[in-house]
Amino acid sequence: MKLLEYEAKRVFSGYGIPVPKGVLIRGPEEVTAHLPELGDGVVLKAQVDVGGRGKAGGVLFADDAAAVRTARELFSREIKGVPVREILVEERLPIEHEYYVSIAVDRSSRQPAVLFADAGGVEIENKALADESAVRKVVVSPLLRDIPPFLMRELLGGAPKELAPVINSLYHVFQEKDAMLAEINPLVTTPRGVYAADAKLIVDDNALARQGIAVNRDLSEREREAEKHGFSYVELDGSIGVIGNGAGLTMSTLDLIEYYRGRAANFLDVGGGADQERVMHAVRLVASMPEVAVIVVNLLGGITRCDEVAKGIIAAGVAPTVIVRMAGTNEEEGRRLLAESGYRMLESMDAAVKAAMEVVS
Amino acid sequence: MIYGDRNLSVIVQNITGRQGTFHTELMNAYAREVGGRGVVAGVAPGKGGREVHGVPVYNTVKEALREHDATASVVFVPGAHACDSIMEAAHAGIELAVAITEHIPVHDVMLAIAYAKLHDCTVIGPNCPGLLSPGECKLGIMPAHLATRGNVGVVSRSGTLTYEVVDELTRAGIGQSTVVGIGGDPVIGQTFVDALARFEDDPHTKAVVVIGEVGGNLEEEGVRSTDLPVVTYIAGVSAPPEKRMGHAGAIIEGGEGDARSKVRRLAALGIPVASRPSEIPELIREVL
Repeated sequence: MKLLEYEAKRVFSGYGIPVPKGVLIRGPEEVTAHLPELGDGVVLKAQVDVGGRGKAGGVLFADDAAAVRTARELFSREIKGVPVREILVEERLPIEHEYYVSIAVDRSSRQPAVLFADAGGVEIENKALADESAVRKVVVSPLLRDIPPFLMRELLGGAPKELAPVINSLYHVFQEKDAMLAEINPLVTTPRGVYAADAKLIVDDNALARQGIAVNRDLSEREREAEKHGFSYVELDGSIGVIGNGAGLTMSTLDLIEYYRGRAANFLDVGGGADQERVMHAVRLVASMPEVAVIVVNLLGGITRCDEVAKGIIAAGVAPTVIVRMAGTNEEEGRRLLAESGYRMLESMDAAVKAAMEVVS
Repeated sequence: MIYGDRNLSVIVQNITGRQGTFHTELMNAYAREVGGRGVVAGVAPGKGGREVHGVPVYNTVKEALREHDATASVVFVPGAHACDSIMEAAHAGIELAVAITEHIPVHDVMLAIAYAKLHDCTVIGPNCPGLLSPGECKLGIMPAHLATRGNVGVVSRSGTLTYEVVDELTRAGIGQSTVVGIGGDPVIGQTFVDALARFEDDPHTKAVVVIGEVGGNLEEEGVRSTDLPVVTYIAGVSAPPEKRMGHAGAIIEGGEGDARSKVRRLAALGIPVASRPSEIPELIREVL
């Protein structure tokens, strides 16, 4: 789950990483009371979870006289379609130089990777793509508590040594907060020292509970409902509902729909042990989307009991056509039950998707 | 076969759990069928002295290995404790740990893999269905009846999608040397590169099906690393960016891992890419 900038900055600050003085406001007038402590001139940053926020008009500068007016302006905006409900108002930093640092999970080496660049800012990703040498990278063994000095030297190159403790603190954040990504862009030097001018923190969804995060905000209400049943669920915008077991097979079913020029309404992976109850909930959930005209159920596995699945589908009793492809134990019984209730069971996923296409076309 | 043959002797960690118990019996049914050794012991802390389907249970891996000469472990321990169990196995001298468990925090996985490496223990998974060498051995949860012995290797990040492909291959009369699910998480012990290196050393494997997913670029690293003929299939070409489709590994990162560009890059390397699973047998015939 992605944290918003102000939340990430609170975490960073708790680890001794200096962040600009700032306050979170929920209405434009709130800014006035805080102007004296923030000094002359402020930055207003919309707290919305979108990439390229600055370019999309989510960050505005104002002198004290214009602060309320500028806040009002920002609250009235939508940043890439997301309304602005909270603004982080910060002091303006006397920036000397901008750097980039991030720590991410490196799939290839199976270790944390620290990335550093001598230039920060919004264009860093494009620069890195254009010129690999613009970004230095080191991987750190997860068995180590700190970034060892030799790796830190390699990472920093000629950059100021005073950045090192901040980067090491960011590494502690990364480890202890179960981060998938911890990023400071830009990391800035000023006459008063080093600051994290921006902050990004993505927490591993599999570690939310032990991080004390009760609700995954990245999910829609229906997605959360699905999570309660143990489903992985994503809403899309087509008319063919999809239920599968296993992420790969379910994705593959979606791809096949696209291959036959259809549009999937969703992704729903029922997970392991698709029993009657779970299948019923899954079918009802997908059928509750108004656009869904037909549902493809694609279940495969040695332990999937086809009779249980069939009972679940029949018990769901939904309006859209349900087309079933399944293989596992008690296949014949499952087929008989479905046929009795007027449902179609097909032999292959190709056949099932083609049949669904006939319904929607 | 890669990773092991019918002489592989296996323990199951959390053998008293629902999954552990169920799959111990299926693994041993397969071992009986092919004349293999199968699961010789189980581990469940505090439950030593019991039996599960005739398999003795021990409190620790160390105790189990004192009585049995097992070299591999299948880990069914739930999320919060799974990595501790992998490290316990590695520490006790297990050489191959197959972690079936899903939803393990990625930092735990990085730690367990690094620790296992110190003890020369190979980790497959987590979040994987395990491995199956038809006619030799089965470690994990793959439905063995879909597979048939042959000379095509299968390596995959998925579970059920692997069964789909194995089923397609078997129906087309193409047997498999080993089928290995390396897991769908962002961090996994054995990558495509590792599995393909093993296939390359296996005299029974003549070609490999690589089943990938949206996310990362490990498929590409894998096919670049091998001289074996390879056919690939990538799931998730219809996945919208930034949407998570079940596997943590399937998050699209920085454009690098989206399935469409992955397919493009594989095709540019001259690798046949199936646009749906049912095309795989035909493509395999062409490269064999």
